[in-house]
Amino acid sequence: MDTENTNLFEFAAFDELESEHIAAPRYSYWKSVWRTFFKNKFTVAVAILLIFIVAFALIQPMKSGYSPTVTPNINNADMKFLKPGPGHIFGTDHVGNEVFDAVWAGARNSIIISFICTAINMLVGIPIGALWGFSKKMDKWMIEVYNIISNIPFLLLAMILSYVLGAGMRSLIITMTCTEWIFVAYFIRTQVMIIRDREYNLASKCLGTRTGTMIVKNILPYLISVIMTYISRQIPNLISYEVFLSYMGLGLGTTNASLGQTISMYTSYMKGYPHLFWIPVSVLAIISISLYIVGQKLADAADPRTHM
Amino acid sequence: MQKNYIWKRLLRSLISILIIMVIVFTMVYTMVPRDNIFFEDSTYRKLASKSDDKTEYVYSTWEKLGYLDYERINDYCLTLYEAGSPEMSAAVEPDSPESREFVELYTSRGYTVEQYLGSGRYFAYKDVPVIRRMLSWLSQLVKIDTPYAVKDETNPDLVRKLSFGRTPTGGVALIGSGSLHKYLLYTDSHFPWIHQNIIKLNFGTSYPTYQGLEVLRVLFQSQGGEVKRHVVFETGYETDSGINFGTLKYKSILDRMDRKKFVDNYANYETFKEQPSMIGTSFIMGIFAMALAYFLGLPIGVLMARRKDRLADKLGMVYIIFIIAVPSLAYIYLFRYLGTTLLNLPSVFTTYGPGDVRSWILPIISLALPSIASLMLWTRRYVVDQMNSDYVKFAKSKGLNQREIFNNHIFKNAIIPIAQGIPASLAGCITGAIITESIYSVGGMGKMLPNAINQYNNVMIVALAFMFSTVSVLSVLAGDIVLTKVDPRISLSEKAGRS
Repeated sequence: MDTENTNLFEFAAFDELESEHIAAPRYSYWKSVWRTFFKNKFTVAVAILLIFIVAFALIQPMKSGYSPTVTPNINNADMKFLKPGPGHIFGTDHVGNEVFDAVWAGARNSIIISFICTAINMLVGIPIGALWGFSKKMDKWMIEVYNIISNIPFLLLAMILSYVLGAGMRSLIITMTCTEWIFVAYFIRTQVMIIRDREYNLASKCLGTRTGTMIVKNILPYLISVIMTYISRQIPNLISYEVFLSYMGLGLGTTNASLGQTISMYTSYMKGYPHLFWIPVSVLAIISISLYIVGQKLADAADPRTHM
Repeated sequence: MQKNYIWKRLLRSLISILIIMVIVFTMVYTMVPRDNIFFEDSTYRKLASKSDDKTEYVYSTWEKLGYLDYERINDYCLTLYEAGSPEMSAAVEPDSPESREFVELYTSRGYTVEQYLGSGRYFAYKDVPVIRRMLSWLSQLVKIDTPYAVKDETNPDLVRKLSFGRTPTGGVALIGSGSLHKYLLYTDSHFPWIHQNIIKLNFGTSYPTYQGLEVLRVLFQSQGGEVKRHVVFETGYETDSGINFGTLKYKSILDRMDRKKFVDNYANYETFKEQPSMIGTSFIMGIFAMALAYFLGLPIGVLMARRKDRLADKLGMVYIIFIIAVPSLAYIYLFRYLGTTLLNLPSVFTTYGPGDVRSWILPIISLALPSIASLMLWTRRYVVDQMNSDYVKFAKSKGLNQREIFNNHIFKNAIIPIAQGIPASLAGCITGAIITESIYSVGGMGKMLPNAINQYNNVMIVALAFMFSTVSVLSVLAGDIVLTKVDPRISLSEKAGRS
């Protein structure tokens, strides 16, 4: 070997800090989630639309101050059943109120209710479902608890709660959460059971990991995408539910606006004044569909297997 | 092992049903204000307010419905004196010594003692605990008809026996005498051809709506106008009548018409009517909707999976998202609008009635819409999952073509979780569809529970809750059994040696 060439090399000193460094590309879970999510232009457009609608639904009713019980134009026949047009964007209804105000006031309450209910159902249902799926001893009895709770006539329960608590947002939220959580728990239980006995969990168990740690660290991260899918269906479901309850006369009560209340109130005018029915339904559909799409795409993005 | 598991699970299901009933009884009898039951009662409204008759009516109705035990001073005095005697009429007055005894006795027994507003006479009542109420309901649930069932003091010579014979319509029958029903077991030309009256479920009598009718009769009795036909009675009397001979029941006091038609005391009967019963209507609608859903949902789901991320898949997803996102109320109205304007179908069931096929089309399709969507979604999911599995890749590498792989491998595996849901959807047919039935004015089961709740028909609520929960709990079990039949690898009982 030539001495000239060996001089070109330098001796590297041993660096303890450098030797600990792992030369893999940096991976941050949440950054990857957002990157995957924002990659799709369509999703971003829907997300922006959703944010705009939700913000509008939260702000507009404050400005309009709409309430179904305030009917200044009730004796003014010229103001009733106007077609949508300039001045009255969505037209006017049977008591001469602006449909535009009614729809957004309703949307606000419906959105708030469905978000709160979803949050409660998830916060209660996921931990219980995770434990339930993990423990076979618990499963034996929880299945019967599920049989019992899921078979109590829902309408009866809703009516009794409206007796005890009176009609209103609080009683509606309790109605839509007091039995609904068991379905979330049941869903999570099935999912946990599927991955409970996978090899990596067996290995973890052999190494002495505690049950709680296994659920939180090994199983729940795997379920994030499934849970997101569930949530994205849950919110439109709850809005539909609220429509159904209002249709049965067990909703928010006549003094509060909600999309369900508005839709069931306008249903009887469907033949003569179709816009009264279709406008709130379309607004509801737009909200639900965009929530569903954003949720589905978030679920896809939350699955670490899509990050590669 | 398997049998053992099923028995144990049946037992646990039974306990679950009992607990559901305790909860329902508690809700209905303690949490709904008991004054509400009179809202729909016309007799109550006719009685002058604050009259003694009204008080009497209110408390005796509550006693009849099992809310409370009700004791009048009259009943108490009747145990001491003869009816109509002067001691009797003196004793019922509020200042008599008997009244004082009555007050003392019932106060010591925990009763609340009050006075009628008009006459000032005493009465006492005490709430019946929910558990006792439920146990008495349960004890009367199953009624078995025997030749010793009828207890009629006005007819001491009633023969008590069983014999074989024929019904007036020519069927074979086990005929009872002294039993509640005349024909305990009989055959006729109506579905399901063999009928029995020996073991009957007794859910009580409906109140305040359908007053005086047995709950099961309300649900199972055919509706609409009578179907009359030429009938020859046992006496030789001929007339046009809708009589269903199989339903003949004991009647204590016969009128002139009864004597003309019947040779014995069995003169109470139901008639054949034009339209199916509530439960029948819902079941027909449900069965066809279910068949339609499986017939369309499964193939479309498979198609979507095979054309994943292509046009067919995307169109299918649009439909699924639409059904999920739009409330059923709205898409049923939309669909009805389309059906009535484009296909010229009737917008309500009652236009042509259940006898015409056109009436059924829109309600059945409306009912099937959400089931089609969910079957599409899940079939697609399962098939896609199977398509990525190793055994499919192996089959492909062995040289099997697409069709063979699909029919022999993927479909068989993908159908397993779907087969589990079939018993539950069958069971769902009898509970009826609330929204669909109300939009199309179909006389089915869907409205029964909401109406019973709104009209405070407690007997009906309890009966429906019992029927629905029993059917649903059993259908979950049936689903699991179907699961093991479709997939022999699955075992319901815990295997030995596995935690």
